[in-house]
Amino acid sequence: MLFRNIVFYALLAGVVAGIAVSVAQSFQVVPIIKAAEAYERAAADETQVLIPSVQAAQHHAAGGEEAWAPKDGIERTAFTALSNSLTAIGFALLLIGAMMASLALGSGEAAMRRWWYGLAWGLGGYVVFWLAPAIGQPPEIPLQAAGALGARQSWWVLAVVCTAAGLAGLLFGRSPWRWAAPVLLIVPHLVGAPHPEGVMFPDQTPQAAAALELLARQFIGATAIANAVLWLALGLVSAWSVRRIHGAIGSGLTGQRDPEPFST
Amino acid sequence: MNQDAGTIRQESTTRSLSIPRILQLFGAMLLGGTIVYAAGFVNADAVHNAAHDTRHAEGFPCH
Repeated sequence: MLFRNIVFYALLAGVVAGIAVSVAQSFQVVPIIKAAEAYERAAADETQVLIPSVQAAQHHAAGGEEAWAPKDGIERTAFTALSNSLTAIGFALLLIGAMMASLALGSGEAAMRRWWYGLAWGLGGYVVFWLAPAIGQPPEIPLQAAGALGARQSWWVLAVVCTAAGLAGLLFGRSPWRWAAPVLLIVPHLVGAPHPEGVMFPDQTPQAAAALELLARQFIGATAIANAVLWLALGLVSAWSVRRIHGAIGSGLTGQRDPEPFST
Repeated sequence: MNQDAGTIRQESTTRSLSIPRILQLFGAMLLGGTIVYAAGFVNADAVHNAAHDTRHAEGFPCH
């Protein structure tokens, strides 16, 4: 059962990577988010009438009632670890699936046994899911001005899909057209990520804005490191998983079903 | 190895349906994409708040 194998190993890889990235985030990433939120609260305290950016940042429901949110402290940390793991499980399903697909296409059965196999796939995931979107839309801290959410989410998907297709075409394509695949890598950046007009931190005092801009710059470096840890863990555990799956049930896909009943 | 294959074969006799592997692979990747979408993109306030720090940290558009 290929599906069951992939799901089982993706759960394992996702939990391992989720724990690893949660630890990595606790050094810099989470403290920077909390530091930015301190400015958010200060701004909310000062103004009776909520200014739009603060209002947006606090996510007031239409009726003015606060939506549920985990309480600061252990509850918030737990929910972050949980959502980190959940996201990592999703990434692992995609990564292990892509690795199995590449084996089925006939590329990489030799590569599968090399020491760099997991590192290479982890690097691929990092480039597709973190680096490519981050080039156009660097990870943001709370309070930072940004374009419309829908447009930024669409661009994120465009960047991920084009980068994945470009890399896959170049590395696994068989026809001479494979050399055209890298064009896909630059398409999202030619389209351009949506960016807001004006200053990075509107409605802030100059001192607060300067401090927040410094935090925003540090945040990019901090997330670069934390996400490298995530994809290193995902790549290594997924490579181990793929070797196990390949050893147990093989990796052919075309015209194959699971071992036929009554075939012996 | 042979014994492994035998075990799997025996197991599959108890299943009435066998799904082509390519669909199983596609299904697993679709599930992965759905999970990433749920954690990173769903706008519902409670989902957003629960996954807030993950979204910022992993570069998903947030707010």
